[in-house]
Amino acid sequence: MTSYRAFSPARIWTLATATVTQLLRMKILIFLLAFCALVVAAGFAFPVLNPEQQLKLLKDVSFGALQVFSLVIAIVATALLLPRDLEDRTLYTILSKPVPRHEYLLGKLLGVLLLIGAGLLLMDLAFSAVLWLREKLLLAQIIQALEAKTPEAVAQLQEIVGKQGLNWGLHLGVLAVFWKAAVVAALALMISCFASSTLFTVVVTFCVVIIGHGQGLIREYFLQGGTLAEPVKKLLSALLAIVTPDLGVFDVVDNVINGEAVGLGAALAMSGTALLYLTGYAVVSHLLFVEKEL
Amino acid sequence: MSTAPEPTPAVAVENLSKVFKAGLGKRAFVAVRDLSLTVREGEVYGLIGPNGCGKSTTMKTVLGLLAPTRGRTAIFGRSSTEVASRQAVGFLPENPYFYKHLNGLETLLFYGRLCGLAGAELRDRAREMLSLTGLEDAADRRVAGYSKGMLQRLGLAQALLHRPRLVVLDEPTAGVDPAGSRKIRDLILGFREQGLTVLVTSHLLEQMQEVCDRVGIMAHGRMMREGRVDELIAVENQTELVLRDASPELLAGIRELVERDGRAALVRSGQPRTTLESLFLEATEEKP
Ligand SMILES: Nc1ncnc2c1ncn2[C@@H]1O[C@H](COP(=O)(O)OP(=O)(O)O)[C@@H](O)[C@H]1O
Ligand SMILES: [Mg+2]
Repeated sequence: MTSYRAFSPARIWTLATATVTQLLRMKILIFLLAFCALVVAAGFAFPVLNPEQQLKLLKDVSFGALQVFSLVIAIVATALLLPRDLEDRTLYTILSKPVPRHEYLLGKLLGVLLLIGAGLLLMDLAFSAVLWLREKLLLAQIIQALEAKTPEAVAQLQEIVGKQGLNWGLHLGVLAVFWKAAVVAALALMISCFASSTLFTVVVTFCVVIIGHGQGLIREYFLQGGTLAEPVKKLLSALLAIVTPDLGVFDVVDNVINGEAVGLGAALAMSGTALLYLTGYAVVSHLLFVEKEL
Repeated sequence: MSTAPEPTPAVAVENLSKVFKAGLGKRAFVAVRDLSLTVREGEVYGLIGPNGCGKSTTMKTVLGLLAPTRGRTAIFGRSSTEVASRQAVGFLPENPYFYKHLNGLETLLFYGRLCGLAGAELRDRAREMLSLTGLEDAADRRVAGYSKGMLQRLGLAQALLHRPRLVVLDEPTAGVDPAGSRKIRDLILGFREQGLTVLVTSHLLEQMQEVCDRVGIMAHGRMMREGRVDELIAVENQTELVLRDASPELLAGIRELVERDGRAALVRSGQPRTTLESLFLEATEEKP
């Protein structure tokens, strides 16, 4: 018998990798293939548009698909995890081993995040490759069409097209998508700790995600003008931020698509916010789960 | 003269009550009422009772899967609320099931890692458990294709993997064919020989009679009878004549006949003793 350790990264890793395989066996990879097909299609369709618009369209479609992929997995896959284990009674055998409940939860969460992270990384690579290729092809086309010969003219064209092409900001955009999905996954896990069914978790998380996206709007509309006293507004605003995550923080995607630079500072602030939400939800999940009757 | 201190029991359940809160408007359900039992180190203890009497609830509380409403449970002196108490115990739940996408060996490797085993030691131990439970041939087949008996044996292998001092088995032979059930009982008898402590539930009485040192009979969430199996039931090399309205002369005549036989001996006369089965039926039909 080995001696018991109160906190073991190895146990969490075992649970996380088991979660990844569990989810992979649910045929989630098909999503990735569909994504790649979509990106390639978007990259080479609509040749009638002007080059800038073509690249923008490619980015629009790709980021849309990235968001859908990551949010669907974050909500649906996470919502399935606990009920599955409870139904299959694997939770009994796992928790009757010397595994603290918080490690079980962390393992599950880490597993979902690994899967979303790896999925996004692969999609980012595929998308970057297509975008880069498209950019080069378009540039060559334009240079040929305009018969630009002088180096200055070529450089100018390069700059115009490059603004819509591949740059580091796009990867930061993918990071933002990842953080948003991570926060939503943690939220879904928290809800599934007390939900009575998977459907309940999915529906509630979905609603909270919608509210979370509109938090800025809600604040502006109800709390900015209006007749409420200042402290009441502050309180309501804080309550809103606690109950639903402010997902607007992660919406740098539009800026990225428009070719605007996202500063490192903004990226750090975004990551910090995400970690704060993740920690908060994980703590509440633990408090709910540790009391759960199995 | 001083008495030796009581050794720490393998399992201690003290005045355990478990109430399941129901939804709004429904009555709360008392699954276990003021139950106490101790399992001494090295013995095989059987908890028997009709379906729904609270056996599984008691076991889950011992393993810390459920929190007691009142009372406390401990494993080798450590409260079940401590995660560390589970280092010394292996649990086979009722109708065990495992991740269906893993095969038998992968399943054991997964559980072994959770217990802190790793590397070659874990591999060897997993192989050893597969051969002990007769699952070598199924080791690389997906668990999804396992039969009930195979799942039950994989559950046993998983429970024994980390060399626990106590194994808790919930209905290990339920729904298993006679041959499979025989195998499982032989394994339990083997545990006893190795000095493992076993806490087992079942509603199959003859089987419990064979493997258990002591049994507790539960009904309606309470302990109705408890004791050594051989004390609770009659010995098999004895024959009983149960007579109604026998006259003293008839009894005297019978005694005389027995004495003349030379081989047989009259052990006792009086109220008939009972089998575990009739005791079970009697005990569980009593109103709490
Ligand atoms: N999680 C639960 N919520 C409500 N009632 C439960 C729960 N688990 C068990 N029960 C009830 O408690 C009683 C005892 O169940 P159990 O311990 O599983 O019995 P058994 O002796 O057959 O193993 C049953 O009537 C069962 O319906
Ligand atoms: Mg039961």
